[in-house]
Amino acid sequence: MISLMMLSGCISKTIDEKIKDEEKNPEEYVWEDDGELVIVTYDVTGLTDSMINEFENQTGYDVSLTKLEDAGSILNHLLIYKGVQVSDLAIGLDNTYLQTAIDNGVLWEHFANFSNISEEALIPYEGPLAVPFDQGHICLNYDTEIVDGVNMTVPTSLWNLTEDEWKGKVAIPSPETSSPGRAFMTATVDYFDNDPDNQTDWTDWWTDMSDNDVIITTGWSEAYETHYTGGYGEYMPGYVGDAHIVVSYCHSPGVESWYNGNWTKSAALDLPRASFHQVEYAAAVEGGNLGAASAFIEYLLSQEVNVNMPTENFMYSVLEGTDLPEDGGYRYHSIIPTQAAEINSTQIASSMENWLQDWNEAMVAA
Amino acid sequence: MLICTKLEKSFDKELFSNFSLSLNPGEIVAITGPSGCGKTTLLRCICGLETLDSGQILLDDIDITSKPAEERGIGLIFQKPVLYPHLNVEKNLKLGSKDGDFAAALEEVNLSGFETRDVATLSGGEGQRLALARALLAKPSVLLLDEPFSSIDADLSEKLVRDVRSILKERNCPAILVTHNITIADSFADSVISLA
Amino acid sequence: MINKYVARSSVIIYSLLIIVPLWLALDRLIWVAGYDVIGWIESLERNYISQGVLEFTLIQATLSVVLTLALGIPIAWQLGRYKWPFQSLIKSLLTMPFVMPSIVAAMGFMTLIGENGLDIRSERDTWFATLIIAHAWFNLSLVIRFCEPVLSTLDPSMEEQLRLLPSGRTKLGRIRHLWVPLLMPSIAAAACMTFVFSFTSFALVELITLGEDTLESMMANVGSSAGIKGVMVSKNEVILGASLIQFSILLVSLWLMSWLQQRRQNLLPVASENVVKRNNITGWLIVLPALIFAILPLIAIMISSFRIRETNSTGSTQYWSTEGWEYAFTATKSLPSAWDALQNSLGYAIITLAIALPLGWMLAQTIRDLEQVKPRIARILDVFTMLPFAVSSVMIGLGVMLGMIKINPQFFYSFWLTPVIAHVMITTPFVVRIILPALRSLDPSYDECGQTLGMSKFKRFFLIKIPMLRGSIIISSIFILAMSMGEFGASWVVTRNSDWTTLPVIIDSIRAIPYNNPLIVPAANAVSTVLMMIALLLFISTEKFRPKRDGGMF
Repeated sequence: MISLMMLSGCISKTIDEKIKDEEKNPEEYVWEDDGELVIVTYDVTGLTDSMINEFENQTGYDVSLTKLEDAGSILNHLLIYKGVQVSDLAIGLDNTYLQTAIDNGVLWEHFANFSNISEEALIPYEGPLAVPFDQGHICLNYDTEIVDGVNMTVPTSLWNLTEDEWKGKVAIPSPETSSPGRAFMTATVDYFDNDPDNQTDWTDWWTDMSDNDVIITTGWSEAYETHYTGGYGEYMPGYVGDAHIVVSYCHSPGVESWYNGNWTKSAALDLPRASFHQVEYAAAVEGGNLGAASAFIEYLLSQEVNVNMPTENFMYSVLEGTDLPEDGGYRYHSIIPTQAAEINSTQIASSMENWLQDWNEAMVAA
Repeated sequence: MLICTKLEKSFDKELFSNFSLSLNPGEIVAITGPSGCGKTTLLRCICGLETLDSGQILLDDIDITSKPAEERGIGLIFQKPVLYPHLNVEKNLKLGSKDGDFAAALEEVNLSGFETRDVATLSGGEGQRLALARALLAKPSVLLLDEPFSSIDADLSEKLVRDVRSILKERNCPAILVTHNITIADSFADSVISLA
Repeated sequence: MINKYVARSSVIIYSLLIIVPLWLALDRLIWVAGYDVIGWIESLERNYISQGVLEFTLIQATLSVVLTLALGIPIAWQLGRYKWPFQSLIKSLLTMPFVMPSIVAAMGFMTLIGENGLDIRSERDTWFATLIIAHAWFNLSLVIRFCEPVLSTLDPSMEEQLRLLPSGRTKLGRIRHLWVPLLMPSIAAAACMTFVFSFTSFALVELITLGEDTLESMMANVGSSAGIKGVMVSKNEVILGASLIQFSILLVSLWLMSWLQQRRQNLLPVASENVVKRNNITGWLIVLPALIFAILPLIAIMISSFRIRETNSTGSTQYWSTEGWEYAFTATKSLPSAWDALQNSLGYAIITLAIALPLGWMLAQTIRDLEQVKPRIARILDVFTMLPFAVSSVMIGLGVMLGMIKINPQFFYSFWLTPVIAHVMITTPFVVRIILPALRSLDPSYDECGQTLGMSKFKRFFLIKIPMLRGSIIISSIFILAMSMGEFGASWVVTRNSDWTTLPVIIDSIRAIPYNNPLIVPAANAVSTVLMMIALLLFISTEKFRPKRDGGMF
C-alpha cells in the first residue's frame, strides 16, 4: 500500500486535465433530445408519482429520478461528474449551495418560459442558470408542551441554548450536508455579528453548543422526525424524542396543524436574525438534455403545479400573489419572521467554504 | 523393447547414476534395494512422472526421454491402489480404455462380476487387481510396478504375485518390479538387479 | 499442473481487478488531499464527523468479542461434550445467523427493539447494548464451529488420564491443564474473526446506533463527498486516515488468524471415532435459549412484514395485512421495486459466480503448483490473494466508486456490471481459501495414475480433478452466491453512484424513506424476508455438502 502511494495523484491529475481540455462550450453545445429526463434530487415530497406522470403525459418525456440524501449530495454529485454529467436537471439546491455549483460551471442556461415569479424569490439569485421553485424561512421550532415557561423557558437568545437546561435537547442538521442546516449556520453568522456581545462570535456559540451535547444529524428529516418531540415524529417507528427544539421552517407548525386537523404543539421561534430566507432551485445540468430540463422547469413553475407547493411540498410557492392555505390552521400557525438574517448571496459565495471549515473546527474544539 | 542408458538422478544426494538396463519383450525384471535408495524414483523417471538429470530412454527405437508421461505408453501400478472414489469399478476401468472388454479384463484378474461395485468396498488385494486390469486395458508397452504387494497381507500377496506374473507372461508384457523384498523379487521376476 | 500462461493471466486478471480500482481510488484521494500520512491520521481527530470514531470502533469490537466468547463457549461445550438429539439440526440452527446478510440481521434487531418487539428503541442507552448483542448473535457460530469439533473428537483417554493425575483431580485443574490449552487456539481464532467482523460492521451500526459511527460507517457516509478537487478536502484526508488505520488493524488480525490456524492444525489432538457421549438434560438450559436467540430476530422480521401500525394524534391501530409486501414490490418514480432489485441481485450473483469461481480456482492451482517448486513465491501469492480481506467492504466499494466510476462515469455509471466488480473482489479470496486446502489434500497419485493411463491434461482435469473436488466446488459456488446476494457495504457505496440497485441496498432505501408512512417498516421487512429465505436456502444446500470434520474456516 505504501508503495502504491508513491505514484500518488498522477492519474487523477491527468484525467482531470483531460476533462478540462475537452470541456464543452455552452455556446457551441448541440444538445441531444433522447426523450429522457434524468432528475437528480433529494426526497422532495412535491415530486410525486402523479405529478411526474402528468408531466410525462403532457410532454412525452420519460422521467427518472436519482434520489440522493440531501442538498449536499446533489452538489457533490454534480461536482464529481463535472464534464461527464449523468443527469439533466438538478432540483433541490438552495441559495446556500447554489453559488458553489455555479462557480464550478456545472449548471447551464435553460430556456424555460415562465412569468409571475415574486420578487422575493428572486432576491438571492435571478440569473439564467437556476430557477426558484419554492421558498421558506428557516426557523427554530420548539415543543410548547414542554417548553411552556414552567418546565422549560422559551429561549430569548441563542445563548440560552448553551445552558444546562438545554443539554442534549437541541437537534440541528449538519451544514455540511443539509440545506436547512447550512441555512441556519449562515443565520448564526449574522446573528452573532449583531448581538450585543462584542467578544464572542458565531464559532464560539457553536463550540459551546458542541460542549452542550447538541445533536447534529445528517439531514433535516432525522432531526425532525427522530429527535424532535413537537412534531409528527412520535408517530413513527424509530422515534427517540430527545430534542425539544429543532431547526426547521417557520411554517412547519402550520404543516403540523394542517395534518392534525387544526391543532399542533409545535411553535416557531421568532428571534431576530435567527432565521434565514431560503429559496430552492431547479437548474439545468451542463451538457444534459436542455430541452427536457427546460420543459420540466416550465411545468414546475406553472400555475397548476406551483400554487400547490404548500400542500404538496410543504413550502411556499414562488409565484406572485400566493400564500399558505387557511384550512387546518396552516396559515395561522405559521409565522413570517420579523427579521431574517441579512446575509446576501455575494457574501455566501465568497465565504461559505471558510464558514464550513470554521464550523468544523468550532465543533471539534469542544 | 526398452533400453535405458546411463540414467542419472540426484535429489540433494545422488540416487542413481550410470544406470543402464535393457528389457526384452516378455521379460520381467525386479529392482531391489533398501528403502530410500532411489528405486521408486528410478521407476517414476522411466514412466515420465519425474525428469532425469541425464541419460536416455529408448522404447521400441523411439527416444522417449523428454516425452510427457501420458505419451510414453508406459503403465504404472502404485504402491497403494489408486482407485477413483467417485467412479465404480467399471468406470475406473473405462479410464484405461473407453471401449474394451471389461468383463474379460475383470475375469483375467479374478474380479468377475465386480463391475458395479463401489471401489471403497474393495480389499487391498482386490484394489491392486483392479489397478492392474485398468493398466493393462491401456495396452502399455511396458508395465512398471512400485512395490504393489507391500500393502497386502503376506499370504494373500503370495498368490497375487503368482497371478500377476502369469497374466503378464500370458500377454508377453515386459515389466519392471521395484521391491525391497528379495523373496517377492525372486518369485516374480526373471532376473533381479540390486540398486544398493 | 497448470499451463504457465493460464497461471500468469489469472494472476494478472486478479491484480487488475483488485489492485487497480483500489490504487486508482487512493490516487484520487491523494490528488485531492495531498500526501501527508501523519496529517491523514490526525485529521480523524480534527474533523467533527470523525471525532471519537476510532475509539468507538475499538470499544464496540472488543466488547463484542467478549460477549460472543462468553455466550459461545458454554454452548460449544454443551454441544461438543454431550449427546444431543438432532445434533446436526441444532448445530445448523445455531450457525445460521452467520450466513444471514448483515442488513437482515440489522432489520431483525431493529424489529426486536422496536414497537413490534420490546419497544425500547426510544432509549439511546439501549442502542449500544443492542449492537453488541447483535454482533454476538452474528458471530456465535464462529465460536461453535471452531471449538465444537475439537471438543467433540477429543480422545476420551486424554481426559481420563488427567483425572487420575494430581493436577487434574479438580475441575479447575482440568480446565487449566487440558481444556484451556486444547481450546485456546480455536478460541483465539474465533476471537480474531469476531473482532474483524465487528470492527468492520456496517449495516448493524448504520441502522441500530443513530449518531454513532464506526470507521466503516463513517467512510461510507463521507464517501460520496470525496474525490472532488478543492471541495471538502478534509473529508478526503479523513477517508485516507481511516482506511489506513483500518487496513493496518485488519492486516495484523489476518496475520494473527493465519498463524493461529496453522497452530490449530498442528496441535489438533488425536481424533477419536469412539467418543461416547452422555445426554445432558440440564444442558438444555443453555442450548434451548440459544436456539431461541438464534431464530428470534428472523421470526420477528417475518411477522413484522405483515403487521401495519398506524399512529397519529388520535391513537394507534395495528392490523395484519399484505400491503407492506405490495408496497415493496411496486415500482415508483422514486424507488425501483423489490422485483427489480431481486433480479439485479440474482443476475449479479450468477455473473460473480461465473467470474470468481474460475478465477479463484486458477489462483489456487497456481499457488499449489508454486508450492512445490518455489514455496516462498507461493506464500507471497497466497497472502496477495487474501488482500481483499484486509480491505473492508466499504473500502472496496469506495475503491470501485472512486477508482472506476469517477474516472469514467459515462461508462461505469450506467454499466450494469459495475457492482459485480466489487462482488468479485470480495468473493474470490474465499474461493481460494476453500479450493486451496482441497487441492492440497488431493493425493497426487490420482493425477499421476491418470498420466500413466495416457490421459491428456484436459481429460485428467475434467474426469479426475473436478469430480474429486466436487464438494469444494459446490461449497465455493454457494458461498459466492450467498456473499454476492447479501453483500451490503460495497454495494451501498457503489449503487448510490450508479443506476442499479440490489436487494440488500433497497431494504435500506425503503427503511430510510422519510415522512410518516405506515407501510415503510412492513415493506422493508418484507424484502428482508425474501433475502432471508434466499440465504436460508443457500445455507441448507451447504450443509448437505459440508465435510464431516472441519477444522477449517467454515
